Amino acid sequence: MSQVFAVILAKLRMAGHEIASVRNQSRLKVGVITVSALALWIGTYFFFRAGFDWVINFGGRASAEFNFGELLMSRLLSILSLSLFLLLIFSNVLVAFATLYRSHEVVYLLQGPMRYDHFFYARFFECVAFSSWSLAFLGSPLFLAYGLSMKVSALFYFASVVFFLPAIIIPACIGAAASMGLVRVFPRLKPSVMAVIAAVAVGAFFFYIRNVLRGQRISDDTVLPVFLAATGRTQSFLLPSHWVAQGILAAARREFGACLYWFAMLVSTALMALLACGWLANRIFYPGWSYLAGQDRQRFRPMNRGVLNRLAALLRRVPDPARSLSVKDIKLFWRDPTQWSQFVIFFGVMAIYIANLRNSTALTEQPMWRSWIASLNVGSVTLILATLTSRFVFPLVSLEGRRFWILGLAPLTFRQVVWQKFWLSVCTTSLFTVGLGVLSGYMLQLEPVYFWLTVYTVALANFGLAGLAVGLGTLYPTFTEDNPARIVSGLGGTLNLLLSVGYISLMVGTQTLILQWRAVEHFAGTQWFWYALAAVLVFDTLVTVVSVIVPMRLGLKNLENMEF
Amino acid sequence: MIITENLNKHFGAKLAVDNLDLNIPAGTFFCFLGPNGAGKTTTIKMLTGLLHPSSGRAVLGGYDIQKQAVEAKRLLGYVPDHPFLYDKLTGNEFMRFVAGLYRMEPRDFDARCTPLLEMFEIAHVADQLIEDYSHGMRQKLSFASCFLHDPKIVIVDEPWVGLDPKNIRFVKDFLRRKCREEGLTVFMSTHTLSIAEEVADQIGIIHNGRLLQLGSVSEIKALSRRPGSLEDVFLEITRDVVETEVAAP
Repeated sequence: MSQVFAVILAKLRMAGHEIASVRNQSRLKVGVITVSALALWIGTYFFFRAGFDWVINFGGRASAEFNFGELLMSRLLSILSLSLFLLLIFSNVLVAFATLYRSHEVVYLLQGPMRYDHFFYARFFECVAFSSWSLAFLGSPLFLAYGLSMKVSALFYFASVVFFLPAIIIPACIGAAASMGLVRVFPRLKPSVMAVIAAVAVGAFFFYIRNVLRGQRISDDTVLPVFLAATGRTQSFLLPSHWVAQGILAAARREFGACLYWFAMLVSTALMALLACGWLANRIFYPGWSYLAGQDRQRFRPMNRGVLNRLAALLRRVPDPARSLSVKDIKLFWRDPTQWSQFVIFFGVMAIYIANLRNSTALTEQPMWRSWIASLNVGSVTLILATLTSRFVFPLVSLEGRRFWILGLAPLTFRQVVWQKFWLSVCTTSLFTVGLGVLSGYMLQLEPVYFWLTVYTVALANFGLAGLAVGLGTLYPTFTEDNPARIVSGLGGTLNLLLSVGYISLMVGTQTLILQWRAVEHFAGTQWFWYALAAVLVFDTLVTVVSVIVPMRLGLKNLENMEF
Repeated sequence: MIITENLNKHFGAKLAVDNLDLNIPAGTFFCFLGPNGAGKTTTIKMLTGLLHPSSGRAVLGGYDIQKQAVEAKRLLGYVPDHPFLYDKLTGNEFMRFVAGLYRMEPRDFDARCTPLLEMFEIAHVADQLIEDYSHGMRQKLSFASCFLHDPKIVIVDEPWVGLDPKNIRFVKDFLRRKCREEGLTVFMSTHTLSIAEEVADQIGIIHNGRLLQLGSVSEIKALSRRPGSLEDVFLEITRDVVETEVAAP
């Protein structure tokens, strides 16, 4: 049996055992995850279906004199194909680094009599599986929606499945090659050069995204030419994503020859990329791995120096143990590079949101739109906050992980630990989101009642969402996992996200109702608007109190009954 | 100083600790011996409050670890077999964090931290991230943090893993001296019988959750059918139990 096959077989067996272990999980957990996954799949399908149908109608009926529908749809498929191709390259750079260099199995496999290209192929299988399962999950409703909207032949669905494997191997090879190249070159650079390159890359990415997302008025006569000119760039003959799109579209039109031609292009390139990666692995994998393993790993962080220690000094008035726990949480967060990337994305979303607010001011002349914009703004800011609490606050208790014995042994109660995490969350997220609420209200030139309603709601949501995230994070902790992204993707994380969205919908929904009622002048008198607004504010405050108290109590009870 | 009364722990149908009764006076160096899976770590986790007993109770320094947990934990120090620490903190920062949990005064912390780090020979890496430490260095940091708040009872679970011979000697002598001179009570679980024979005032041998023997080293050794080391006696006692259990229907 070949070495590559032996490793792959062992991994498949491990995956099989993992799947079989689902039988030992709680039925509630399995049920919630299954229902959530199905809901996400069905939701994605309907989202794309509605979008595709809209595009077809926008283009005109097939019998009409001017019918852009099909042209727009083919361009859309090219855009989606290129986006997925680029995302796969990016995710494969990260996954390949973790799989080829950082996994615990690497040392064991490398001590065996295995050639480096064989080692690469054995691990590459895992890279492809890791980076592409979500593409299969979210791509399938997309292609199904496309096929049903365009009423294509069955060959389209068959081609979508057959094109999938070579279509994911090419970006996986590019990502893995880039990862091996970066490991060979990057660690040898000076930290200042690395920082400049990283800053330029991040800046360029956000500049590009900001330009892509810059608001274009749908009524502008220029929108179609601009769209067609921009999307034309996604149809370069040199892009494998274009081959995928063309091959699948050919299948949709029952053009067998063309479909086979694009498939042959794709398969031959995928095989060539695999060979090239094996060749590259033989030459640069081991020197890179060896250099990383031999790096000086003595990282000093002297006390009373640096930003973090100054920040810790600011908290000196907070009594212990809350102070020690908060300083520890902040330092652990700051020193974990996996958290930064998420935080940069979060700030990017905030920056894009603020940058795009300027395009919305044209609609503020009509009272109804002013009211809608105010409500949508509160919804957007609180959804950003929910993202923040779901991603960064929910895993806080789980991240104590196998170190929980330190807290378990200390003379403090779990109540103190859990409430410390709640207050840390409220204080830190308020800094960003209340600021964002004020800034967005100012930029949208909201009238005072809308402005202060925005600020109050966002401030209140900091408490409600922190209560949900900390409480559910304590009710469903994952102490065996150190990766916050994986902690968040479990049952508790999903439940927290769903409940957070429900909480926001309830708050924003009730407010929108009152504001719209006022905008269309349905209140008998001004004072009735103020009474209704006061009632809504009391209702929102009560909902927030419940969102804090109930999950926190349940979580705390769970922690106190837990054994370590 | 450490009392257990009818301490039981079930994991489903399995009885991990069966009616454990112990009374360990202050200043005693107690060694808890047993084969793998005998119930040593389960007992330790119940003594430290990390596991709830199925029945019975554990009392440390007069405080029930379940009912008066905070008071009991103020007296307690614990060194686990696998020192999972906060990798992204430095040694110094970890010590400061532990001091905060025990609400130590800054001047007490300053007076105790550096001598402990120097004593365990990790002062030179105290500003380095813990994730760069070797297993032995983590173990030494775990010891240093355990003694930071001056505990009256120290529970140690197989402490020799990862320590070099010099440090094993140091830790052994340090614990013994603390017992003799300062009245510290040490509860140590170990597989290294030669060390137990050397340091223990009292020994308990547990197997399949049951305490088989309890006494001083000489009393335990006297149980052997022929004179020998503690290792011989231990193997004889635990083998007898295995044979009896195999012979039973």
